[in-house]
This record gives sequence, structure tokens and C-alpha cells, in this order.
Amino acid sequence: MKLPHPENPSNALGVVIVLVVASLVITTVWYREGDLGPIHKLRAGTHAVAAPLQATGEFVTRPVRGVLAWASDLGVSRSQLAALKKQNTELRSRVASLEEARQENERLRALFGFVQTAKLEAVGARVIGRPTNSWERVITIDRGSADGVRVGMPVLATEGLLGQTISVTNHSARVRLITDARSGVAAMIQSNRAEGVVKGSIEGQVTLAFVSRETTVKAGDVIITSGMGGVYPKGLLVGEVTAASQTPSSLFQDIKIAPAADLLGLEEVVVLTGTAPPTQIGGGE
Amino acid sequence: MNRILPTIAAVLAGAVLQAGLAPYLSMGRVVPNFLLLVVVTIALVEGPGPGATVGFSAGLIFDLLGSGPVGPMLLVLTITGFLTGLMHENMFAEGWLLPLTVLAIATLSAEVAYGLILLLLGDGGPFWSTFFTKMLPGAVYNSALALLVYPWLAHFLRQERSITTFRRLG
Repeated sequence: MKLPHPENPSNALGVVIVLVVASLVITTVWYREGDLGPIHKLRAGTHAVAAPLQATGEFVTRPVRGVLAWASDLGVSRSQLAALKKQNTELRSRVASLEEARQENERLRALFGFVQTAKLEAVGARVIGRPTNSWERVITIDRGSADGVRVGMPVLATEGLLGQTISVTNHSARVRLITDARSGVAAMIQSNRAEGVVKGSIEGQVTLAFVSRETTVKAGDVIITSGMGGVYPKGLLVGEVTAASQTPSSLFQDIKIAPAADLLGLEEVVVLTGTAPPTQIGGGE
Repeated sequence: MNRILPTIAAVLAGAVLQAGLAPYLSMGRVVPNFLLLVVVTIALVEGPGPGATVGFSAGLIFDLLGSGPVGPMLLVLTITGFLTGLMHENMFAEGWLLPLTVLAIATLSAEVAYGLILLLLGDGGPFWSTFFTKMLPGAVYNSALALLVYPWLAHFLRQERSITTFRRLG
């Protein structure tokens, strides 16, 4: 049985031409208009409507995800267990040395009055939405402008930097993770203070760009925010170098990073509301 | 009128699934695209005109739900809906291989087109890397989901006809 054709193909061609032109106009307007333009406002409205849906999805699927996570943990092999034990030993020794550094740091801060820099205010938030498509790394949290959250504020997990708020409604906000292709974080290597920019990518790979070839970088080096640009406070943990290499044709090193925070498995985050965000968002927002 | 309402319901259901469920069905970094499946199915059932119109609506919803530029998926789904709808005349209700083949080709084409547009707009990544990490896995995942979505949605959209799609699957 063949389905009947319900329309004239030439009419359909006319329809698609009109719609394609409309698509191109909307794309152009999106790039040309400001944050207060009609399409941006329409998106903000869509996000406000979608937030409860995302929260429902998060709530409903949580037990299933918990079971899956538990099941995957059952598969820890002997080699993984041995590696974890070895890592635990190393971390214990590192904690001891870091404790010394922390105490020294505290004394220095007291001496130079750096306590003022701790005037950051923060608000806790729950993750209520995950990325809705494959092409971006953006999550939704349950705090919005009613809680003092504004666009451009840094967002942290207990392990380290997560990203930055890029849009805010009354009771929700969207956070662009540092793995997103449009993300850029002014950062530096803690050990040698070499500065660069932590960038995400479509593939999810995080890199530290613009570090000169003369700088010595090795796997395990800790990356922290540099404070340049004023978006992120200085000293927030970003991640750890996993590999560094050089190509003859490049001015800079190719440095790959493992983010400190588990960016997609997290459930609670902290928004630093005490920082004054400049309007560095990118991606047309 | 009785053909418009099921179509609107299907698009709204696709939007709700995309916002509320798709993030939790992600495999690796690949999130299924329910709106794409809705557009392709409607285009196969209704033809190129409705396919393009629904593609426009669904593409706008997809772009507005995300945080990237508004427009790329709008353009991609409009054209995908139209081109897929051109195959409408060749769809035999009892057949399953041709619809699935069209669905697979349409999803891969849409993913590649979207990636290329992002690349042109300066928001994309290296083509081959993106192809193997996003486009191809996305097309495979969406095609697999189409096995579940297409028969039910096509049946829902054409309740007045005796659609028996997939009954010969065995």
C-alpha cells in the first residue's frame, strides 16, 4: 500500500525557500542583536519553561542513575584497586606536605593582610539539568537572580572550578562548563606561574593554550586560575596536566588537562556571588 | 485539522523529551536528538511541506533549548524535513527497511550539516575529530532510537490509515 501524496511538490518548494530565508534571518539577528534582543529574550523564556522539565527529569532518573553508578563500581578490577591504593598513599604524603604549605600560607596572609581577598560570597545550588544536546557542555542549576546569581559568576564544585553562569532566570541559571567549546579561563601552572588560557572543545578535550615553548611543563602539574581578566578569582583549582607536547610549527605547547571536578556527575555546586563579573561570555551571549 | 493536532502534539512531546529525558540517555558525550527523529518521521508520513514546517519549528525549539547560536539547527532541520519528505511518495506502509535507511541517512546528514555550520560560524571543532566523536556516534544512536520511535510515531500520526509498519519486521 502506498501512502497518498497530500500536497503539491512545487508548493512545498516555495514553503521551504521561505523557511530557509527565515532561518538565515533569525541566525543573523541572533548574532547582531544584544543580550536584550527579542531572540535572546525568547531563549531566556524557553530556559525558564524548560528548567522545571529538566528538574523533573533529574529527579525521576536519579534512582536509575544511582543503580547504574553502583553497578559500574562493582566492576573495579584488582589493577584499579591497586592503583587506587597507591594513589591513596601518595595523596596522604601530599596532604602532609600541603598542610605545611597551608600553615605557611596562613601566616603570610595574616602578615600581608591578604584576608581581604577572602571576601567572596557564595551560594550553594543543586544541578537540575544536564546538557540537552551533544554539542555543548552546559548544565542548569536551581539558583537564579532571586538568589543573587548573575551572568558571569564563577561556579565551583568541591574538587575545583566548574565554569561560569551564562544565563539567569528568576530561579535557575545555566552554567557553561570549562569543557565547553566556547569556554575560556585565564589560568596558570601553579609550579612555574606560566600563564595561559584553559579552553574546552567540541570533543570534550580540555587544553591549556598560549603557553610558550620555553616553559617546562610535565604531566601532573597543577593548573589554577590566574585571576587575569577579573572573571575568576585567582587560585581556584582547575585541573592537572595529563600530557604536554610540542610541534615544530607551533609557537605554543600543546597541553592537555584533566579537569579537577567531575563535570557531569556532580549534583551540588557553589556559585561565587561575591565576584563582580565582566561581560566575557562569548558565543553570541 | 485532525492532522495538525497530532503533529503539534508530536513536536511538543519531542521538545519535552529533549529537555527532560535526552540528557539522561546520553552515552559518553552523545545526547540523542528526539526532535530530529520527530521531524524525519513526520516528513516521511506527511511529505516535504509539512516536513519543512515541522523542521523549522523543531529546529527553533532545539536551538532555544541549547546555549549555542540560534539558527544552525533551525536551518538543518528545515532542509532535512523537506528532503526527507521528498521520499514520502516512496514509503510503503508495510516496509521497514526503506524508512529506516532514510532515517539513518537523514540523521547522519543532519549531524554533519550541523557540525559544518558550527565550523563555519567559528563554534565548531576539527572536522574529522568532530565527525568521529559527535556526528557518527550521534547518527548511530539516533538511528537506533528510530527503531523505537518511528513505528509508534508513524502509527500515531496516521491513525486514520491502516499503517502496519514494522509488522513484517520478524
